Amino acid sequence: MRNAGRLLSCLILPLAMPLFAQQDGPTYEDILRGFDDPERWLTYSGDYSGRRHSPLMQVTPENVGELRPIWTFQTGTTTRGRGFEATPLVDDGVLYVTGSNNYAWAIDARSGRAFWSYRRDLPDDLTYGASAPVNRGFGMLGNQLFMVTLDAHLLSMDRRTGDILWDVQLADYRIGYAATLAPLVIDDKVIVGISGGEYATRGFIDAYAPVTGERLWRFNTIPGPGEPGSETWPDDPEVLARGGGGTWMNGSYDPELNLIYWGVGNPNPDYFGDSRPGDNLYSNSIVALDAERGDLRWHYQFTPHDINDWDSNHVPVLVDAEWRGEPRKLVMMANRNGFFYVLDRTDGELLLGEPFTGTTWAREIGPDGRPVILNDGSQGCLPDPWGSTNFMPPSYHPELELFYVTARETCATYVPEEPAYTPGQASFGGVVFIEPDGAGALRALDIHTGELRWEFTYPSPTFGGVMTTASGLVFAGDHEGNFIAFDAATGENLWHYQTGSRIWGAAATTFMLDGRQHVLIPSGTTLTAFALPE
Amino acid sequence: MWARDGVTDEYVFSVVRDGIPGSIMPPHGLRETELWMLVAFMATLAEGGGDAEFSGDAGNGRRLFAANCSECHRAGAEAGGVLGPALTGVTRRRSPEALMQSIREPSGRIERGFRPVTVETGAGEAVTGVLKNEDAFSLQLVTEDQDLRAFGRDAVRRVARLGESLMPVFGEADLDDDELADLLAFLHGSQ
Repeated sequence: MRNAGRLLSCLILPLAMPLFAQQDGPTYEDILRGFDDPERWLTYSGDYSGRRHSPLMQVTPENVGELRPIWTFQTGTTTRGRGFEATPLVDDGVLYVTGSNNYAWAIDARSGRAFWSYRRDLPDDLTYGASAPVNRGFGMLGNQLFMVTLDAHLLSMDRRTGDILWDVQLADYRIGYAATLAPLVIDDKVIVGISGGEYATRGFIDAYAPVTGERLWRFNTIPGPGEPGSETWPDDPEVLARGGGGTWMNGSYDPELNLIYWGVGNPNPDYFGDSRPGDNLYSNSIVALDAERGDLRWHYQFTPHDINDWDSNHVPVLVDAEWRGEPRKLVMMANRNGFFYVLDRTDGELLLGEPFTGTTWAREIGPDGRPVILNDGSQGCLPDPWGSTNFMPPSYHPELELFYVTARETCATYVPEEPAYTPGQASFGGVVFIEPDGAGALRALDIHTGELRWEFTYPSPTFGGVMTTASGLVFAGDHEGNFIAFDAATGENLWHYQTGSRIWGAAATTFMLDGRQHVLIPSGTTLTAFALPE
Repeated sequence: MWARDGVTDEYVFSVVRDGIPGSIMPPHGLRETELWMLVAFMATLAEGGGDAEFSGDAGNGRRLFAANCSECHRAGAEAGGVLGPALTGVTRRRSPEALMQSIREPSGRIERGFRPVTVETGAGEAVTGVLKNEDAFSLQLVTEDQDLRAFGRDAVRRVARLGESLMPVFGEADLDDDELADLLAFLHGSQ
């Protein structure tokens, strides 16, 4: 048994035992190894690269048609207007998963039955957290789980009981902050971001010590007066202090460069830009931070002076590939503004920026690295505020060198208006009229050109995330509730299962257990596990 | 619920009547008398201890906790095991008398989620732990060596439900009444 001997050590050393000394559960080295252990899924994307590409080979294009549900877990909690957005972590036959309204569970991966459940006692006056009461999952290290909350705290729990080990406040929820992402755990740090860019808040990325919960560093996504980047804002501390720039989606990590890559959200107010002339750094950017100190190494801004709520909160996808004849370290993002980008992740050099939807906003990136804007919205028909894609995870297949993204084709008109800035109340700064006949698609993009290799169209704009497997499969989902498998090379639709509720913000996970490949998808109020027949 | 700071009967009344905006707790259209009856009933379920005096030596209680309890229990930020329930703030949920009785007679009342079982598998393995969950086809345990483990019933030969708690009995000779008072004083201060 894996834990034999631990009880003995406890008996011998009960007084000398430091906090959490019962070493068990995954280590940092285990997380670093990513998918090496087929029975584990230890961090949001499965590994630090953000590729959500599993090496598993049991379920193939040939047999995926036989895939069938083996159990369903009902959460008993609903999310009005949003989804069950979490990625379960998997270790030693146990799933650790968070749900909406800050519920959480440890679930037996064989039966779908819970070991424990947790529900946070939330305050009655949530702000952003009441409008999007979602959570995207745990971070994990040893016997500790880490979860952020709708009242903007970071919790550590014991993975065996759900008991709270520590609880720290990230920010004051009453102003408009919340937290929804899955913490990124690296060696000796728990990295988290914050939600609330629709309110008069200022975003940040924080690092905390796993054992004590002590804050180690903070990177503010909106500079302070006089700091680098402040020249892209009005010379007004109040404007900077409410500048937005949420960091509400998971980042990725390159252990070799020791850099964290994180997307930054919209400036506030969302649609009214007249009060904040300038590019408004570091909103709508990707930032590369030194993991040790949180210092900014480089940034690239996708949408300067955003007035369409096109947060750049996407999972950065890290890929090492040959680029124009040379091996390069790349980071890729399909952005809410409708462009697919490839950058050099060592220095942020823009290598490719090509549209992947039919947006009329811009069709090219100029030589200065900025979008050439054709339609600022006054001519109507821009991507809606949910964007050409959103935070739902994309995936990358290294052998095929294809990037898979859920694309949204929408048409919106923006009418800005100066908002009031009241703490705890949203300040969108206008209204948006969205045409009713949008559509969605799963698109496979050639990473070298951005060209569309294949697509599968959905009848409505969709929020389902994507996972690929080395066997040549793509798993995706749609707004109508279908969980769908495709041939990764050709886009042929091979299998689908109607889950009964939209797949919204979630992507599949997969792992081996008792020799069987399991595939999981959250949907509505359920988590469903699939496998081939025994 | 009453263990939370600032929670009064009036607060509970208003939550039941108005619900919690932005959450799944709906308003309830009961008559006022019925609402107060409901609040009164819920109050009987809260085993109060919040107003009790704890005059023991919390420093000594902390030492006693580390020596006798922490192998299986956690309290506040203290190191501890997970076989028994976490005792952080327990004095605000249960009376001193009930807590002392649980220490003297652990098998007298074993909370759901901590009931001891021994699972004997078809392969001849015997695993003892506390039962967290079960259905007709599976069981979920925290084992004696304090990890999560699940069993499919098709692989289980027998489940022995143990009448005795896994917690040892602490008689007067092990911890006298003064020491118990110290322990409770320590637990009362645990956050």
